[in-house]
Amino acid sequence: MSSSTSADLPAAIGDPEGPPAVVLSGITKRFPGVVANSDVHLSVRVGEVHALCGENGAGKSTLMKILYGMQQPDEGTIDVAGERVHFRTPADAIKVGIGMVHQHFMLADNLTVQENVVLGAEALHGIGGKARKRILELAGRTGLSVDPGVLVERLGVADRQRVEILKVLYRGAKVIILDEPTAVLVPQEVDELFATLRGMQEQGFTFLFISHKLDEVRAIADSVTVIRRGTTVGTADPKAVSSRQLAEMMVGSELPSPETRESTVTDREVLRVEGLALVAQEGTRPVLDGIDLVVRSGEVVGIAGVEGNGQTELVETIMGMRRASAGHVVLVDAEGNAKDLVKLGTLARREAGIGYVPEDRHRQGLLLTQPLWANRILGYQTRRPTAKGAWLDIAGAKQDTQRIVEEFDVRTPGIDVAAAALSGGNQQKLVVGRELSGDPVLLIASHPTRGVDVGAQALIWDEIKRARAAGLAVLLISADLDELIGLSDTIKVMLRGRLVADADPNTVTPEDLGSAMTGAGSTSDAVAALDTPVDEEGER
Amino acid sequence: MTALAEAPLTVVPPQRKRKIPGWALGMIGVAGAIALLSTTSYLTGVPQLTSTGTIQTAVRLALPILLAGLGGLWAERAGVVNIGLEGMMIMGTWGAAWAGYQWGPWAALIAAAVFGALGGLLHAIATVTFGVNHIVSGVAINLLGAGLTKYLSTLLFFPISHNPRESPAVPKFDTYSAGGLSDWLGSLEADQRVGISDVAGILRGLVTGVSPLTMLAVVFVVGSYLVLWRTRFGLRLRSCGENPTAAESLGVNVYLYKYAAVVMSGALAGVGGAALVLNPGNPGYLEGQTNGRGFIGLAAMIFGNWRPGGLLGGAALFGYADGLQLRSGGKTFLALIYGAVLLLAVLVVWQLVRRRWFAAATGIVAAGLLYGVYYSVDEVPSELTAYAPHLVTLVVLAVASQRLRMPAADGVVYRRG
Repeated sequence: MSSSTSADLPAAIGDPEGPPAVVLSGITKRFPGVVANSDVHLSVRVGEVHALCGENGAGKSTLMKILYGMQQPDEGTIDVAGERVHFRTPADAIKVGIGMVHQHFMLADNLTVQENVVLGAEALHGIGGKARKRILELAGRTGLSVDPGVLVERLGVADRQRVEILKVLYRGAKVIILDEPTAVLVPQEVDELFATLRGMQEQGFTFLFISHKLDEVRAIADSVTVIRRGTTVGTADPKAVSSRQLAEMMVGSELPSPETRESTVTDREVLRVEGLALVAQEGTRPVLDGIDLVVRSGEVVGIAGVEGNGQTELVETIMGMRRASAGHVVLVDAEGNAKDLVKLGTLARREAGIGYVPEDRHRQGLLLTQPLWANRILGYQTRRPTAKGAWLDIAGAKQDTQRIVEEFDVRTPGIDVAAAALSGGNQQKLVVGRELSGDPVLLIASHPTRGVDVGAQALIWDEIKRARAAGLAVLLISADLDELIGLSDTIKVMLRGRLVADADPNTVTPEDLGSAMTGAGSTSDAVAALDTPVDEEGER
Repeated sequence: MTALAEAPLTVVPPQRKRKIPGWALGMIGVAGAIALLSTTSYLTGVPQLTSTGTIQTAVRLALPILLAGLGGLWAERAGVVNIGLEGMMIMGTWGAAWAGYQWGPWAALIAAAVFGALGGLLHAIATVTFGVNHIVSGVAINLLGAGLTKYLSTLLFFPISHNPRESPAVPKFDTYSAGGLSDWLGSLEADQRVGISDVAGILRGLVTGVSPLTMLAVVFVVGSYLVLWRTRFGLRLRSCGENPTAAESLGVNVYLYKYAAVVMSGALAGVGGAALVLNPGNPGYLEGQTNGRGFIGLAAMIFGNWRPGGLLGGAALFGYADGLQLRSGGKTFLALIYGAVLLLAVLVVWQLVRRRWFAAATGIVAAGLLYGVYYSVDEVPSELTAYAPHLVTLVVLAVASQRLRMPAADGVVYRRG
């Protein structure tokens, strides 16, 4: 696989004995009010996988944007293959062989794979048959097996990522920046990605791998540079240091863990979902099919599943954002009164005592342009302390926002700034704080720590654990399997709209869970298939 | 071991596979429309539905709508909603009249394109450079177009035509007919045989008295398709309408492409205005001449699902509705209502086959109502028929807009960086 390619490497970055592929020295970048990077040094050897680790907001993304020409540094220099370069646009970076795979895919859904790949690089092979041939040639390297003529909207997440890699390959990139490439993948897909990366590494490609998942970094990287508060802490050999040491370099202090110590599960059922079904608008295929689920007071029930298997729909149906086509959602309040919510609207369900941390805080959790205290009112517009009768209680809302800011350590200049001004972790802390206000009996947390830094993650975990100990029932959906295993008292695996297996969080490993999630069947005693028959398509 | 051969693990959304290619779908649509018209014409005994004259008028009236729609297509594919088409069209009509009465129809065409393009440029400056809401800017341009031309025609046309609302007469294009073919089709049409005569009438309408503008419009439709879908320029332009951030990250100058698209959009809308002025039925520029055709063009584009072929179908539909009422008045329009009943009947059967009970029931009720109208009145009042295209627009959009797919970033103000 590695024979043919050394010829088409640009001579400049191709030679492992030559100068380093990329050297960043003394990079400083200031934004109004913040220093995103200060005096960053980074040196990447040719043909290595170099990981860049740091918390969210540590300045990794800014640094990579500088290297990719999307932003210009205020100070410092960039050398590529021993030559000083100045990038004004990404096109300049592409020209010297640097490509970037963004965390949030930069793909146009309504264009085909081929169109997405050739866009901006039409001069290389045109946009017709020749380009198609070249794409098919390169597709093998990334493990992409779809026809270049299909629309990107039809592809799953892993394939979209392959298209992104294909895009940079097509432009002849030799140094590829991967911005948190594993954030959206399940373990098996991560393994495939790593296999692809190793194969490409043998062919002489150099990778800059941005991540805060340290196990992955140690699995794939040849060297690691840790960045903290905008500056590089140091470079290490991942084989020689433990994840823990790396993490402490990142955080500068002790590490959090999702692990919950002792069980606080009680007998009192809080949420009982019976035979819940949902049929999508088009087609007859059920999105949710006969879901039975019980969450007890003091219990965290985790739902594992590959994205798109109905977790989002399950949560939205329980919340009343989608109308169930059959089944019941019964909520038992603290006094023991059971109430079927299935006919009620979302607001009524929230008022009945459900807190909801939505999976996408930007789309569903917050009004980014509004101040924090206005965001505090969302979902509580009918209740104290943010409302008095028919009127909103602005003073009460502000006061309670101040409480959340303090209790949940939301780092903000004040409660009058727009939510957009906060970092992801602080936004999420605000959302979690809001949803834990007003004494909920049930918290539905969808990916509560997705895309937040370690500090915020620890705090959110602690808050969930604390609320759980106080008797809160929690329904947790997460793609982070460590989080799921660590926090949950019970794990259920969801596949194609059904709960297909139970897993014991005390014994199950992420790999076992991963294979159960993809329908490969249980590989471990820790995962017990439920007696619901897996539908015929399961064996396709 | 690389596991490359394994199937993708992520669940792929349900395939919406298109078994029939677009062009075949178009042909089926055309055949269906002809069948519907000839059946209606046979059952109601109104031959004008498919007569040469009706079709000729329909083509003439479809032209402005088609061109405006094409203009909309260019802008919206680049992600700029162009509700200012109407205003650009008005500027086009004025420009066409001003240059036309002095230097002839070709000059009219060019001047119209330039005036329209100026309107487009203004829209681009407002929406792309200054990030004004697309609708706000579009509405402003509509008002501006009307006001500006009113002022200019008072200033320049009034001394000659002695009417501030009208331009001097503008010379028209010579028209061309496919000689022998046209005569042969004429004789077929005169035979009044079911089906054959209808097809002959429609074809004859398409090949008799064809203005160069019509041919040009056809070239524009095909050309727009080729440019937008088959060239790198078009790919880049469309990428700006789908995901400008991604396009920018790949080195596409989004602002530039948006500018190009919106200016082109204005030029096409302007030519659409020229098509009104150069229509043999009109002496020249007339205030209020466009009468909402820019908006109808936009509707035709939406109906056509932001594709040139669909847009052509939409423009043909609206042009036909307009042409029919203009030429033959209320009686034939009533026949069209009968046709709508037939169409609904077919749709109801289709929905029943697919077991969509609610849709079928709605269809039956609508068909019943329309048939009631058809049965109870002898002639649709002329006050109503004048609004035929607008009514059709309303109905068609309400029904068709369910399954449409607009460019993902259409109407979103894009800021670089």
